Amino acid sequence: MVHAQRYDDRVDLDVELSFYQTLALLGRSVFLLSQVKLLFFWKLIFSSVAILPPLAVPWLLKIVVDQVILQAPIEGTVARWPPFMIPLIRYVEGLSPIDVMASVTAVYLLMLIFFGMRAAGQIADLPRGYDAATQSEQALSYGESSTGGLWGLIEVLLSIKLTQKLANGLRTELMGRLTRLNMTTLDEQRIGDSVYRVMYDAPMLPEICFKLAISPVMILIGAVLSVLMIGYSYGEVLPEIVWIASALLPVTLVMTLPLSALARRLNQISRAAGATTTNAMEQSIDNIAAVQALNVAQSESKAFEEKSAESFRRHRFAAVIDLAVYAISYTSIFIGVGFAFYIMTERVVEGTVSPGDYAVLLALFFTLGFAARDLGLYWIQLQKNVSAIRRVFFFIDFTSEADRGGDSLRSLNKDIVLESVNFSYSEDVPVLKDINLKFGLNEVVAIVGPTGAGKSTLAYVLPGYIRPNTGTIKFDNQDVSNVPVNQIREKVTYVFQEHMLFSESIRSNLLLAKPDATEEDLLSACKMAGATDFLEDLPQGLDTNVGKSGDTLSVGQKQRLSIARGILRDTPVLILDEPTAALDPKTENMLVSGLRQFARNRLVIVIAHRLSTIKEADRIIFLDDGKVLDIGDHDTLMKNEQGQYRRFVELQTN
Amino acid sequence: MNRLANQDSLAGNDSKFSFALIFQLLRRCWPFYKPQLKHLIAFSAFAFFMALVVLVPTLIGTDLIENKVLLGEPLEPLQSDLLFLDETYTAQVENETNTLSREQRVVVRDRLIFWGFFYVLLLIISVSVAWYYSIWIFQRINQDLRVHLLAKLERLSLRYHAMSQTGDSVYRVYQDTAAITRVLENLITTPLRIIFFLGFSTAILGAFSPSLVFLILFAAVPITILLKVYTPKIRVAARLSRELNSLLTSNIQETLSVIRVVKANGAEKEMMKRFQYGSTAALEAAYSLRKYMSILTIGVSTISVATVILAEYLIVGWALEGKATFLGAAIAVVGFAVWNLGAFKAAVARGEEAADSTRQLAEVWSTAQDTLIGLSRSFELLDSDVEVEDAKSPKPFPQSLDGVAFRNLVFSYSETKKVLSGINFSASPGSITAVVGGTGSGKSTLMSLLLRLYDPEEGSIEINGINIRDLSVTDLRNNIAIALQQNELFAMTVKENIVYGQSRISDIDIVEACRIACAHEFISALPRGYDTELGERGGKLSTGQKQRISIARAVVRSTPILILDEPTASLDAETERKVIENLARWGKERIVFIITHRLSTIRSADQIILIHEGNISESGTHDELMNNQGPYRDFVDAELGLRAKN
Repeated sequence: MVHAQRYDDRVDLDVELSFYQTLALLGRSVFLLSQVKLLFFWKLIFSSVAILPPLAVPWLLKIVVDQVILQAPIEGTVARWPPFMIPLIRYVEGLSPIDVMASVTAVYLLMLIFFGMRAAGQIADLPRGYDAATQSEQALSYGESSTGGLWGLIEVLLSIKLTQKLANGLRTELMGRLTRLNMTTLDEQRIGDSVYRVMYDAPMLPEICFKLAISPVMILIGAVLSVLMIGYSYGEVLPEIVWIASALLPVTLVMTLPLSALARRLNQISRAAGATTTNAMEQSIDNIAAVQALNVAQSESKAFEEKSAESFRRHRFAAVIDLAVYAISYTSIFIGVGFAFYIMTERVVEGTVSPGDYAVLLALFFTLGFAARDLGLYWIQLQKNVSAIRRVFFFIDFTSEADRGGDSLRSLNKDIVLESVNFSYSEDVPVLKDINLKFGLNEVVAIVGPTGAGKSTLAYVLPGYIRPNTGTIKFDNQDVSNVPVNQIREKVTYVFQEHMLFSESIRSNLLLAKPDATEEDLLSACKMAGATDFLEDLPQGLDTNVGKSGDTLSVGQKQRLSIARGILRDTPVLILDEPTAALDPKTENMLVSGLRQFARNRLVIVIAHRLSTIKEADRIIFLDDGKVLDIGDHDTLMKNEQGQYRRFVELQTN
Repeated sequence: MNRLANQDSLAGNDSKFSFALIFQLLRRCWPFYKPQLKHLIAFSAFAFFMALVVLVPTLIGTDLIENKVLLGEPLEPLQSDLLFLDETYTAQVENETNTLSREQRVVVRDRLIFWGFFYVLLLIISVSVAWYYSIWIFQRINQDLRVHLLAKLERLSLRYHAMSQTGDSVYRVYQDTAAITRVLENLITTPLRIIFFLGFSTAILGAFSPSLVFLILFAAVPITILLKVYTPKIRVAARLSRELNSLLTSNIQETLSVIRVVKANGAEKEMMKRFQYGSTAALEAAYSLRKYMSILTIGVSTISVATVILAEYLIVGWALEGKATFLGAAIAVVGFAVWNLGAFKAAVARGEEAADSTRQLAEVWSTAQDTLIGLSRSFELLDSDVEVEDAKSPKPFPQSLDGVAFRNLVFSYSETKKVLSGINFSASPGSITAVVGGTGSGKSTLMSLLLRLYDPEEGSIEINGINIRDLSVTDLRNNIAIALQQNELFAMTVKENIVYGQSRISDIDIVEACRIACAHEFISALPRGYDTELGERGGKLSTGQKQRISIARAVVRSTPILILDEPTASLDAETERKVIENLARWGKERIVFIITHRLSTIRSADQIILIHEGNISESGTHDELMNNQGPYRDFVDAELGLRAKN
């Protein structure tokens, strides 16, 4: 909880990861490889083949040193040539030293062009910044090959594709889940945090797969082959060398593994701090009008500065673990190699081992040492990825609206009935109290009442934004508590009080509601919403770009576009939350008569304060303190002298 | 996604490479490096020293191991001194063929291991320290740029923000600024280091044999061609990749900030389609960037290693002949007077180093292109025009207020349509001015001009006769409080939202402000009262509640000028009446502007300004205007529904 208060996590609070949870997350990640079977298969083929050429390189060097420069006979030392070298040995046997060199050079060149031998492996990576976010950005399109040349190029491109496909699959799934979270969860969940999870946490998945299912396997195969080769060629002369070689890997691993729990912890914190920084920035820029109007730009910058500094600091702490792993593994590598050096030189001085053999062994030892270092490092780095991926899976597993369902909605032609509906956001403050209502599918209903009476909350129940704590909702007499929300929302459209538009053209904002709407549909919806007049004034009409959250339009204009969008959806139920609050009276009148026309065979629910809007309703539901106090049309309710509604109206008209 | 096509910067001039651009960017980076200069110098000196420490012992060690320990050749005098060995180990001048005994070779080896141990230990420790140090330095540089960028964003006018997306700003502050940490590395230190190594290796190879240098020069030709062909491609791809990624960030941010609308329209699928489209496009751009980089690096590296392999063939030939090296005697310190096993290994090792350096140079070159693009995106933002600038020597805000006057104001967002023109009116202390008019008539814009969220094209706004352009923006905004129409609340507690940005405000003042805004009652009923967290964008409150918190936030600042933009639209009539009454009492000495449609609010105003299509069509008190039978009368009739219901 200390963590949660410090950073911006409001939904995802449990950040400790045990060893078993880590294993479970890793297993789950690797399982995702099943989504990219074909690419994975080819990547495996390419990486396994790539293990082989490096094994031959030291032996070529031995030929150059022993047979060419020192001109020793081929069978001059005690070492046994590995079987794959035999054809070349047979071929060069008896040639003059310079001809042997020519053959070796030809082999070198071929191996260079095809496998990039003697050149470094290829990594397709851009420089990474100094915090988790910029590093993830690069991890998203990471690709590598232990070889170069043509083989390496193909393998790199292949692995980038694999990485991208894996990461994209996961981030798409995460985004899908985030948009389907329950409304109440979405109020809690910070946008910046979600952006961070999709953009910077999800890309950490492919590395898990690589570092668990590909690289270690390849490294282990390579290491085992090297050890076997050492055993085969030098086992009789240098048995100790074989022992050191086999011990190098496990010893290094054992020394670095204890760091993993700490690594996990530090990386969790580093990412939470990063997400907090994103929040500070996102909120401040998205609400820039408030920031400038309230003149708090400076304090906002200051807050950002602190959060950003904290996120850098946390990242630095996590980096210390990497450092420690490097230091420890290099130490053990050098101890191992030093020991081997001691034994080998001993034998060279004795004359039982040739300088060429020394060259072969030293090369193999460094290969083994680096393999050990990389394996140790992988495990530690995996902790980093696990921290990120936990943050992704958390929301993939989180209850969402999409989980509800089983029944399918039969019909909605007659009515919607609410039976003893109760609801509260937090335990002790009930918002709706025992609501019993019936809405017919051919009326305009106004929900009226003082602010905070629960009007919006009541309306939220219909499209399933919130679920009643007790009580049932019936569509044509069918209990819909077990119907998937998307089926319900196909029937119910909600137009919010805050008028949210995307920073795209008006047309694409409208088409969001009904992607296949015709030009005619668009225009008639705009007409009904009273939006035609200002649309005609806009230079590009429907194709005008509305700017960030519709900032280039006035509030009233946005309101009408939001309503047009709701009308365009053409559903049996349309709910309008304060549709006329920002409209001048003339526009309001146009809109209200448009809605009356729209309401034939439909249910239109209007939440309103404005008398002129309310009067037009067939029925008025007066709500106060979560309870229904009055129901009826305007004239009937006005006749009741003691009625709450009448009091409410009189206040407005004095 | 058609917006993409309009984006002016999209991979425009990036394909042209110029050193002038690099120089210009470096100059821009300088202010951010300068504070860390002493650390940078310390770090560079350390790194240079480390490079030498690695290089020299490696060179001496190779000879000692290969020629002395393995083959038993005698040591050079300097070498024996270094290992504290006596003269029996060195070559006797009169007898050149003498060799080391087995025991002597073992002694040399043991001393090498002894020194090697300290050498490696020192290496590991100092590399670790240097690594941590460099992270620390570069994080500080990055932090500095980030903070500058965000501060700039906060100051940019609303016109800029209306036309740009939040996600793009986030991306520039986050991802693009990171490039600054790599400028030094990719454009200066790494290239310098590599060129140094390259020169060093080439010089040594030249000392062995000048023919090797010619071979290297020969290899430079195809490498140059590769660079020429692929550099422009890499630049274009880098810009595209960054732009598509920032679009994607915007996409996510925007979808989540309007998630209610997405749900209300059942548009989750459609949004996911857009997300996937953006995500795939971004990934493809990233892919082609990396493809070009890989082709370039692999190409360069293959050419340079092939050169080494050919050189090896030549060297072996010379070694077989026992040919003297070019500067034989001069490099005798490290012991390679003639081509032999040690000389072969040393020369090939330098060759491999040179080849590797070349590959690294190609790698750094291609990543530098991306760095440049990232950085130029950061600076684009840093350079954009703030629009609303402080006066050179701002006058102080007047102590006591005489009045606010709007004089011949003309304003438009874009060139095509005037939003306001010929606005003339004034307001005096203790008065409430109601600004009334149709939606989109320019009411909110008028008030934004008073706050200098924009500056007018013509005309002026004057406070006590002083043009507000002559005041400092901070001073001006500190003296005007506003409750915005779109109640922008933050994901903090109620209290933090109310005191937002102000430091010394007592709890009593907060409660008092909330009482005036009729918010105290419902806040007290919240589970944790004033300490209740409001959720993302204040999502846990009803609109009417948010509205009242906005009003309280404006009132608590206790400024001489107060602007309320549709403050009561979502309030019920009773609450509205109370709020307006409270405000009238509270605003005795102040100037209050209220934008509203509510008749009851308008009536209580001292002056009504009716705006129609950017012009003032009528002004006066309610009674005066009702008698006029003009547009205001129509407005009122419509509100009362007198015309609609026939």
